Amino acid sequence: MSLVKVSDLSVSFTTERGELRAVRNVSLSLNAGESLGIVGESGSGKTVMSRAIMGLLPRTATRTGSVEYDGQELVGKPTKELRELWGTGMSMIFQDPMTALNPVRRIGTQVEESLRVRLGMDKKAARSRAQELLELVRIPDAKQTLRKYPYQLSGGMRQRIMIAIAISCNPKMLFADEPTTALDVTVQAQVLNIIDELRQDLNMTMILVTHDLGVVAGHTDRIGVMYAGQLVELAPTTELFANMKMPYTEALLKSIPRLETPTGSRLPVIEGRMPDPTKDEPGCPFASRCPYATDKCRAEAPPFVEGTPGHFYRCWFPLGGAQ
Amino acid sequence: MKKTIGYWLSATWLAIVAFLAIFGQWLPLWDWEEPDYDNIGQTPFTSWKHPLGTDGNGIDIFSGLVQGARITMLIALVSVILGGAIGSALGITAAYFRGKFDAFMNIAFSVVLSIPNLVLSLSLVSILAYSDEDNPTTDTRRIMVLILSLTIVIIPILGRIARATALQWANREFVTASKSMGTRNLRIVRDHLLPNVAPAIIAIAFLAVGVVIIAEGSLAVLGVGVPNGKSWGSQLAGAIIDIEFYPQSVYVPALFIAATVIAVNYFGDYFRRSLDRRESKI
Repeated sequence: MSLVKVSDLSVSFTTERGELRAVRNVSLSLNAGESLGIVGESGSGKTVMSRAIMGLLPRTATRTGSVEYDGQELVGKPTKELRELWGTGMSMIFQDPMTALNPVRRIGTQVEESLRVRLGMDKKAARSRAQELLELVRIPDAKQTLRKYPYQLSGGMRQRIMIAIAISCNPKMLFADEPTTALDVTVQAQVLNIIDELRQDLNMTMILVTHDLGVVAGHTDRIGVMYAGQLVELAPTTELFANMKMPYTEALLKSIPRLETPTGSRLPVIEGRMPDPTKDEPGCPFASRCPYATDKCRAEAPPFVEGTPGHFYRCWFPLGGAQ
Repeated sequence: MKKTIGYWLSATWLAIVAFLAIFGQWLPLWDWEEPDYDNIGQTPFTSWKHPLGTDGNGIDIFSGLVQGARITMLIALVSVILGGAIGSALGITAAYFRGKFDAFMNIAFSVVLSIPNLVLSLSLVSILAYSDEDNPTTDTRRIMVLILSLTIVIIPILGRIARATALQWANREFVTASKSMGTRNLRIVRDHLLPNVAPAIIAIAFLAVGVVIIAEGSLAVLGVGVPNGKSWGSQLAGAIIDIEFYPQSVYVPALFIAATVIAVNYFGDYFRRSLDRRESKI
């Protein structure tokens, strides 16, 4: 049964340079308990898309299309009603644990906040639940940590606190927005494992947003690749790595530095830039950077087709040929 | 941060003024309303009986200043606390919600700020506490109106600071994070923005105390202060005609006012500097 069904979701921002279309006609659906990874380079719209599903956008943004969560339509719902859903229905782990905690309030107060506000717990119950939550995310010395301020904790610890806050009201749906980008490589794995375990224990549906294909590989059931605000490829994780169709996905994978590359050689990059999001140009948005692009790519935008069941892509000349 | 000599001097001076304002009424001092006809116009530091001398009517200057400290401090603190509270509430909510409310508050603050302090409070006092021989107003009413008008002067000063500082914090990730957990807007303003904005407001509030003391003094000189020499300003204002004959009755209160304003300014600056250091560390 699908918990979240996104159809034709678009987000645009009104800016001085005109309308900036950050997310363009994204459609996807998520089954309960499923984990979906969203990858793409900076500015591809992945963060905006995840926030748009939640409805957590700045005032300058307009959201069109439809987001169905648990049978309710969220687009057009007033913030007041969405708020009832935030925290308890869906919640988010933020990218930078350095800025996502209030520097002048104790960890305890911040973890307890939603317990008290949203679940109506009293001070004592909230405190002991907060301690449990901290133990759940494997923070040693949870009791002492509750009394500390964010600056006294390392990045990894703070990110665990963020996770503890995000799961504190037992959400059905968890958005993890680059949860490990700001962390050391060694800590990344620990944090991802914690998220994974919690997701399975609490049976949460998750959208994991990242620019690192390596991160999503081991932690998701399906992967969506975003480029220039569009979903360009969507497939089950193993299928995607075994049989990728989009030249862009391939380019992303190639740009991960490898151990066997000789020292001193240049890092592989995707040449060129993403198209200007305020403009609407004909053709495939990746055409200017794509090694396989032809005149057809530059003239006409490819449709989002389902090659094999469950594997969608947006390309005229998919790798390995069309099926 | 290193505590300088200026810090200790300011702290000591403010402690003395605070002590006099609070406990002065129980100190064994000369009655501040009782003239000493045997020692009219005595120079300061010439006798223990009147340590800071007497004015042209034989009124003890020190006793007058002790009495004045109470009224002046009352007016300054109440109007700054009141104006600060209202100003911060308006400023922070405006910064958080933005939109029309923010635009309106921004204009409102600018409009009030564009009227010179004195003109504003002068007109408020003249209208609300009008007094002539047929309809004398009570001192209490005068003081209330003074506090009210000075509060109105303070609201936009601190409101603007609060708004500007809150703007820096309102889009921080932790505000969004709290919002994403379903926290209500006013709670976010109170629990997340206020604690971060408060230090900046407090720093400027010290400076505002100085502004109010000066304004109170100026209003007194213009004839709409607290009557009968009950505040520092009115004590000074009442003695101006005697400046040729008994200069101490003017310069002693003037020095008191100056020292106090310098001390609160120094404190405000000190506070702001240590805040800047904190900011640069984050």
